[in-house]
Amino acid sequence: MRLFLLFIVAGFLVVLLQTTVLRHLLPLGRFVPDLALVLCVYLGLNHPTVGAVVGSFALGYSVDVFSAGGVLGLNAFAFSLVFLAVYLSSRAIWVHSSLSSAPVVFFASWIKVAALQGVWTLFLATEGLGAGALKYTLVDAMLAAVLAPGIFSLLKRGQSYLEEMRMPVL
Amino acid sequence: MLSFVRRYQVLVSSFLCVLLSLYLVAPAAKGESRADPIGPILIALIRPFQTGVRAVVSGTKNVYQGYLALIGLSAENDRLRSHIVELEAERNRLLEAEATNKRLRELMDFRTELPAGSITASVIGNSASTWFNSVLLDKGTSHGVNKGMGVVSLMGVVGQVVSATSKNAKVLLITDPHSGVDVLTQQSRARGIVTGSLETGPIMKYVKRSEDLQEGERLVTSGLDGIFPKGLLVGTISKVQKKSFGLFQYVEINLAVDPSRIEEVLVVRGQPAQAQD
Repeated sequence: MRLFLLFIVAGFLVVLLQTTVLRHLLPLGRFVPDLALVLCVYLGLNHPTVGAVVGSFALGYSVDVFSAGGVLGLNAFAFSLVFLAVYLSSRAIWVHSSLSSAPVVFFASWIKVAALQGVWTLFLATEGLGAGALKYTLVDAMLAAVLAPGIFSLLKRGQSYLEEMRMPVL
Repeated sequence: MLSFVRRYQVLVSSFLCVLLSLYLVAPAAKGESRADPIGPILIALIRPFQTGVRAVVSGTKNVYQGYLALIGLSAENDRLRSHIVELEAERNRLLEAEATNKRLRELMDFRTELPAGSITASVIGNSASTWFNSVLLDKGTSHGVNKGMGVVSLMGVVGQVVSATSKNAKVLLITDPHSGVDVLTQQSRARGIVTGSLETGPIMKYVKRSEDLQEGERLVTSGLDGIFPKGLLVGTISKVQKKSFGLFQYVEINLAVDPSRIEEVLVVRGQPAQAQD
């Protein structure tokens, strides 16, 4: 239950940060570090549960709600797919340190964009996302990858703190 | 069956979520949008925090600026800056009026003020995604802000309201590739659509090859889209390129407003589209 609350709070904070201070604090122009994606990858790697699946979907849904140009369900689809991909590959990937989460997040970012582009092409056929999208994906993926170790480390600390609290005192 | 679901519960639930997402996306293919009962609740939940964070960020920024400059100089700076903004708006109005007079449009009473009923709003949040450029306003339907209304600042066009709840409104910024504003060039009176682009920044689309555009020429709203009043500054032409093929020329623009730095905006009601002269 405590763990569940931790991820609810983390998800809430991530969305709040992405929609407010990050754009002001980081001089990155239109780029917003995709903390929600990092959280989604963390859930996929460390929490293979139905709750984590729903959490990933909810993260994507929140991004859709707070992105006016986005179609409802677009990011929810991408995040669900990222979770699934990370979950399926988690048996082969051994993320032994927070630092090694960076490449996983980097590739997850590409999966997310591939999913977004796929839905765009199939359902929406929006023009103007051709060559420029590649540059955006690369920067987006690198930003998320750079921030991933720090966020993984924070989440792991929070998790171990909660687990220590749960252990009986001998 | 039940044991299969239990065994593969993560996979099954993931597939269900993927299918649910596609179910949510599907209406967009027809240009429709599905009713979203959860979105407004999420926005309402996060709104106080966004307002609080914005106040803290804004306050911190102000303290920092005040620290850097002497109080008197800072006040003088603010006064001069707002004066520049007023003069810029005035200059744009005069240029537009001059162009209009030259074309003997005697009956036109060019509006120097925004239409009655304009609503002042503050930006309290940004888009959560790099892929969409939007902002969240602190005013909604209960304040008279509705879907389809134009959003402007003193410097020019900012975007368009694409959805509104009772207390908030989402604005698709002019820099977003999905946006579109009907514009006229101030001197040559060429028409086109200004939209965002991921590749180069904002561009003006659908400008005929025969039009003679100049770099530095100003773009103003045409008023024909029924969203923005006529004559609001949108930006200036930064690059014109006529390729060896195609019906249209390629035009890059510099926007008058930097939407990423905007804090206060006016939400305006458009006027019915007028016949093109």
